[in-house]
Amino acid sequence: MKRPETKKLAAVAASAMALAALGTTAHADFPTRPVTMIVPFAAGGGTDITARVLAGPMGEVLGTEVVVRNVAGAGGTIGAAETAMARSDGYTVGLMPVGPMTTQPHLRSLPYGPDSFDYVCLAYSAPSAIVVRHDSPFHTLNDLVEYARANPGELNFAVQAIGSIPHVAGLGLAAETGIDFTFIPYAGDGPSFTAMLDGSVQLFIPHVSFLRTNADQVRSIALLSDERISTAPDLVTAIEQGVDMNYPIWGGLVVPRGTPADVRDALETACEAGVNSTVFTERMESLGTPVVYMGGAEFEAFVRAEFERNGTLLSAAGLMAE
Amino acid sequence: MADLMLGLEHIASYQTLLSILIGTVVGVIVGVLPGLGSVIGITMVLPFTLAMGQMPALAMMLGVYCGSVYGGSISAIVINTPGTPQAAATALDGFPMAQRGEADLAIGWATMASLIGGLFSVLVLMLVAPQLAAFALNFTAIETFALGCFALICIAGVSQGNMLKGVLAGVLGLFIASVGLDHVTGDMRFTFGNWQMAAGINLIPAVVGLFALSEVFVRASESSLPKPKLLHRAGFRLPAMREWRPRLGLLLKSCAIGSFVGALPGTGAATSSFISYAEARRSSPRRNELGKGEPDGIVASESANNAVTGSAMVPTLALGIPGDPVTAVMLGTLIIHGITPGPRLFTETIDIVYAVLLILVLVNLVMFAVGALGSQLFTRALRIPEPLLMTMVTIIALLGAYGVRGNAIDLLIAFIAGVVGFILRKGGFPLAPLVIGMVLSQMIENSLRQGLLLTRGSFVAFLERPIAFALFAMTIAILIYINRALLIGAFGWAGRLLRR
Repeated sequence: MKRPETKKLAAVAASAMALAALGTTAHADFPTRPVTMIVPFAAGGGTDITARVLAGPMGEVLGTEVVVRNVAGAGGTIGAAETAMARSDGYTVGLMPVGPMTTQPHLRSLPYGPDSFDYVCLAYSAPSAIVVRHDSPFHTLNDLVEYARANPGELNFAVQAIGSIPHVAGLGLAAETGIDFTFIPYAGDGPSFTAMLDGSVQLFIPHVSFLRTNADQVRSIALLSDERISTAPDLVTAIEQGVDMNYPIWGGLVVPRGTPADVRDALETACEAGVNSTVFTERMESLGTPVVYMGGAEFEAFVRAEFERNGTLLSAAGLMAE
Repeated sequence: MADLMLGLEHIASYQTLLSILIGTVVGVIVGVLPGLGSVIGITMVLPFTLAMGQMPALAMMLGVYCGSVYGGSISAIVINTPGTPQAAATALDGFPMAQRGEADLAIGWATMASLIGGLFSVLVLMLVAPQLAAFALNFTAIETFALGCFALICIAGVSQGNMLKGVLAGVLGLFIASVGLDHVTGDMRFTFGNWQMAAGINLIPAVVGLFALSEVFVRASESSLPKPKLLHRAGFRLPAMREWRPRLGLLLKSCAIGSFVGALPGTGAATSSFISYAEARRSSPRRNELGKGEPDGIVASESANNAVTGSAMVPTLALGIPGDPVTAVMLGTLIIHGITPGPRLFTETIDIVYAVLLILVLVNLVMFAVGALGSQLFTRALRIPEPLLMTMVTIIALLGAYGVRGNAIDLLIAFIAGVVGFILRKGGFPLAPLVIGMVLSQMIENSLRQGLLLTRGSFVAFLERPIAFALFAMTIAILIYINRALLIGAFGWAGRLLRR
């Protein structure tokens, strides 16, 4: 009676070992359970909605559910840190926007940086634009620069947060043209817009979709993109006006450093399919922005370049953490 | 008119109507259950509203708000335990009526008064809000700062009788909200190098801890106290029309008091019902009967506290300034759902305002129906054994705290806030000023510093703006009025010193 028992045990052990070996070497069966997508901003915001739209088709390709989890706070750094510290098995991905990836780590000491992640894909990228009130005397970037040179220290520039991309862009504009602004932080696009309407500030930099929803009250004087965009071809870029400014507002998928390559590949394939899905392209259309995609390697190089450039601007403005 | 139709279109969906129904029912139940007030009710449904559309979310919040303000009266009448602080004044005459065996009639008075108070405030919101909005177009950071200072003074008014403790609690609230990111310089404050603390102390986990968890702790510490007994099975009976006629003046006056107090930032339904009750005590022809089961007391308290609901939305919607913790949570939800309350709401998206008005009207009607149909059932909820009830409160509260932003540190914050709330309560400190301090802190600080950037560092320029100047002057006048006894004493002392 003993021998069959032992045999059975040995068989179970052998198959268990085989399964374990399979588990560590081959990820052909990734994923076997739902994937969590961390969004570092609150539910219901622009980033969150985009993430949720992307999660649907990505889940279809992966053959499992992609569950969005909002981990909000401190300019997106809490969610980014949580992504960086997650287990690197591909079951936790982060939809990380430009701010927590390329500006926040310069501003203060955080438990993550560009080296904490492996890069899956860039999911969206749209230009920002310098906007003024519809009745503003500034029609071109040149009008603005001339006025600022003639009246130094007079222009008030609303920024959505200190060290945010609009702030970095404003610093970039000041550095490029040798003018100066008084940057005043208002909490987000809405209050910045209000401050511009009541005359407190003369300009601010929102996402290009803001121009669609508030077309009768604001006007773009410069699109901060390397070329004009197909969805709004009449917006003139800053580069066309002789000022080199390219400040896209983007977001992409990252995973904790050390995630196996084949798992990353599976996620990248799903991301590409998700970005090109009908629901996602419709979402981009509703924002008035073109669909943009980058694979993992390209995205990593892009993030590192943005990280360097924004760091240089923030440090020149004296905003770097020691 | 076109905007009104657009507003109607916003709410004309089964999701919104269902939300009104569910929200109001939940609100009334939360109101009935002692310890679970409007704030906890709102916090409980908050995670659910995040997954809803704009209008259903708004409808559910308003339903819970109005329902809970009314629901508190039922337990106040039936077991002499106000379900919410707002209904504290209702117990003064409601319970004696119940003891006479007229609980059904007392609930009838309370329900009717609540309905009229609620509808009156919708009228106020509709008539006054546009003027407020036009006025609010002049509000820059400087005026916002002046208003913030004014609102802080109102807190001092709320804590009368216990002024020092109220002010201390308010200051503690101001301090707590300064933890985390400094929005003007991007520096970190009081985080002790902990990156998780950079997110600051969120209002909702703090509120959940301060109110709900501290309630659990207080109950646990007082378990030897005798439990309230159910005296009656409360039904529902409407008072006759001729009973109302002599009380119409009182009713209107109470509605006006409630609406006025509700529109002031930093005040709330509890204050208004006591002020209104005090006024009834001063002027009612039946004032000698008050406190012995006179319907005047119920009418004064319940119409005033429900009249707060609509008018509290005036500063919330038109200025983006929450009048109390409930509207503070509601304000946050509105922003999450893409509605930016503030001066522009009334000029740019008046249809949203009309939708709110229509939702409020429906909520008040549903509230009446819920009260009429459910008052027998509600008394049964009070029979849930206290340990079970408090366990439920703890679980629901912690879920709410975590759900806000999915940040595990919020559970710790809620727990610490619970302990702090317990200590403050035991020390006789009012909790409302603390929460209002937390709500106003960033508004006051950010607007001050934005204003100083705008004026290039000049405080004098703040006084050159007429609205800001008027608000500063009012603030100082009220400050002097509140401390008049102290000042008279000081002058008297100085005079005696001079004569000597």
